[in-house]
Parts: sequence; structure tokens; C-alpha cells
Amino acid sequence: MHQRRNQLTIAAVTFILGLLVIVQLRTQASGAAFAGLSSQELTVLVANLNDRNDDLRGAIGTLERELATLTTNTQRGEVSVDELRADLRRVRLYAGLDPATGPGVVLTIRGPIDGSGVEDLVNELRNAGAEAIAVESVRLVPGVVLLGAAGAVTVDDVPLDDPFELSAIGAPDKLTGSLTRSGGIIAQLAATLPDVIVEVTPLDRVDVPATARELVPGHGRPRL
Amino acid sequence: MTVAARLRAIPSWQVTLGVALLGLGFLVAAQLAGEGPRVRYTTQERSPLVETASELQADQEALKVTILDLRARIQAAEQAGEGSAALVKGLNDELQAARIAAGLIPLTGSGIVLQLEDSLQPADPEGNTSDLLVGARDLRTIVEELWAAGAEAIAVNGERMTPTTAVIDIGPSILVNAAYLAGPYQVTAIGPDDLYARLSASPGFVDFIRARAEAWGLRVSIAEPESVDMPAFAGTVTLRYARPQPSPEAVIGPDG
Repeated sequence: MHQRRNQLTIAAVTFILGLLVIVQLRTQASGAAFAGLSSQELTVLVANLNDRNDDLRGAIGTLERELATLTTNTQRGEVSVDELRADLRRVRLYAGLDPATGPGVVLTIRGPIDGSGVEDLVNELRNAGAEAIAVESVRLVPGVVLLGAAGAVTVDDVPLDDPFELSAIGAPDKLTGSLTRSGGIIAQLAATLPDVIVEVTPLDRVDVPATARELVPGHGRPRL
Repeated sequence: MTVAARLRAIPSWQVTLGVALLGLGFLVAAQLAGEGPRVRYTTQERSPLVETASELQADQEALKVTILDLRARIQAAEQAGEGSAALVKGLNDELQAARIAAGLIPLTGSGIVLQLEDSLQPADPEGNTSDLLVGARDLRTIVEELWAAGAEAIAVNGERMTPTTAVIDIGPSILVNAAYLAGPYQVTAIGPDDLYARLSASPGFVDFIRARAEAWGLRVSIAEPESVDMPAFAGTVTLRYARPQPSPEAVIGPDG
């Protein structure tokens, strides 16, 4: 009788123990994926991942329609010239091979800013969803860098005037809000480079030129 | 049961229970200590957040695979009509060049791989660790230096640098193309054979090594493999706000 009760108690205790071991292990395993992120940072991450996944789902929808049209055309024995042209226009616009126009913002930058300061502004514009960006008449595509010490920034080896303009196409309110929010990039620049003044103008129409660069790599070839 | 047997039985049961309770206490303590003071107040929200983030990350991976697969099938369908007309052949060639320019095609070629890892130095007395971690600014500096040294295509942990790529900090980790990346960070670059020589001769790169590797102990290593593989950008190229300019310049030329 006694032995049975003892066995039951020990069974219960070891069961709870096992449960706790598993909880502990799972906590550590799931925590490892996002170790060191606070709840606030996790919230930002979740928002970013959500936006991104919505974008990707949108892209999948577009691609599926494109594929359906192409397949139908092939079945009918038709050539998909219109689809090819539309696809080409879309990819060239994204890559920066064609000039772009649309709503956006123009930043007027005065004073001795340095290369990394301009790169920070560009990075923030991209983070806020800018689709096409130019510094003066140079479209910012992979390979174009803004280098130089304060007051001596060059883009593609051409020195920038003071003031100079940064044009970006995207949602004007979102771009403006992201740049000018308290603690945002312009506030940070004001703290580190107090002589630099950045003015943001939302516009219904911003023109961004095409790149003059060769964007097809000479040292890489398509991988199958 | 005799009195003697009962006396023998009690200690053994108490000992077993005692050991089990000791283990229980240890686990409870470990659980509490593991959470730390900063997140203790938010434990209730944190766990579902971690779960949501993990799920979204898994979704993102699956969506990217779907995109790459659809693109491959579209390309095959577009080229199926090849040979039927010179016009279609020309358009397909232009499309392939534009896709390569946009980073939508995986590449292989000469280049280097640069690895960045957090410092192993202890935190300062106030417990500040941010200077000891590889941050978004560090990655951006390396990427810019590589472009300036002649790189033609760059990716970080599988995320291709595109015209719309932002690199931002998220706690001790980094978001690139809104993908969550954790260290070590591998920056892969395709470029000329002397890419490494040009990079190491750049004053900006030398400054970076001095300021971040020598002063704070960030671990930077560089490899020059025979060839470097570059992933394709698995994201959307459909722009929502930008349109082609309705000027003669916007007419698609035979270049590219």
C-alpha cells in the first residue's frame, strides 16, 4: 500500500520534472533563433517580415499571371511579343537601365556632409521603400558608391556641388516620415554633422535618369 | 509490514523525492535566470513573438523558392518560341541581359569571400557591447569598399545587393532585403582577379580594419576561392510608384 503510494508520488514528480526539462530545452532552442532581440526589436522584425512576405506574395501573383498568359499563347501557337516587351520594360526599370518617373521626394543637402552620411540617407530611403534613387544626374545602382570626407563627396568620381540633390521615387509621405521622424536619420545627422542641413520636399512627380553603367558583369557568367 | 521495514522504506522515498525536488528547483532557477532582467516584464509577449517571427521567416524562405521556380518556368516558356522569329530571339536576348543586370540570374565567376564575425573581447564595465558586434554600418562599409574596388556583384549570406537593398540593424542582428541575417556574415563578391589586391590597397578599407578589427576585435577573414557563386535576388521587381519616363529616352534600345 505504502510502496504503491510512494511509486505514484515519484511518478508524478518525475513527470513534472520531465515536462520542465522539455519546456526549458524548447525555450532555449526557440530563443537561439532570435537570441538577444528585445520584444521591441522582435516587433520591428515581425513587421518587416510581414511587409516583405506581402511583397513576395504580390510578386508570385504577378509571375503566375505572366506564366499563365505565356502558356496559353504557346498552346494557341501564338508568339508572346507583348508579354516579352512588358517583362523587359519591368526588369529594365527595376535595374535602372531606363529612366523612371513617379511620386517621391527630393532632398536638398547643404553643408559639409561626408560620403557615409549620404550613404546613410540613401539606405534609409531604400528602407522606406524607395524604388529608384539618383544623386544629381547619377542613378544609384549596384556599384555606384558615394565616397569622400566631409565636403568632398564624389559619386562615380565626380565631385558633388554644395548644395546637391538626392531624388527618390516612392510613397512621398512614407519616405518623408521615415527620414524626418524623431531619432531618425536626419536627426542623427544633425547630431554628428551640425553644419549639414537636409531639406525634404515631397513631390507628385520626380524624374530619375537611367544609369550610364554597364551592369552585366564581365567576370561572372550565368550559373545553371 | 514490520516496523523495521517501514523505517527503511521512508528514507529511500524521501531521498528520491528530495533529489527530484532539487532538480525541479534547479530547473525553475535556470528558467528564471535564463530570461534575464530586461525581458522579464515582457515574457508574456516575447514567446509568441519569437514563434511568429520564426513562422514568418519560414514563410519567406518558401515564398523565395516559389519566386525562383516561377521565374525559371517563365524564362523557359519565353524561350520556347525561340527560333520562330528573329524578333522573339532578340527580345529574349535583351531580357536575359536585363535580368543579369538586375541580379535575377545566379552567377559564377572570379572573386572573393569576406567573413565578418563579432568580437570576442569582453564588454566594457558599463556592459556596452554594440561596438563589439558586426553592425549594419560595418556591412555597408565593406560592400561600398568592394564596389569601389571593382566588384560587379555582391551578396551577404545569400542576399543579393540590388538597387533597392537596405541594410539595417535589428538588435544584434541585421536585416538585408528584409531577410533576417545573423553572424558570421559572409560577403561574396564577383570581380576582377585583382579584387583583393585593390580592396586591401583602399584607404577606406584600411581605415575600417584599423577602426573595427584592430580597435574592437571584429574578426575579418578573406578567402579567394577558385570561383565564387552568386545567388539570384529572390524578390519583387514590380515597382509600385515608378513608371518609365514617357520621353524618347525611354524607348528600349538594342543595348544591354
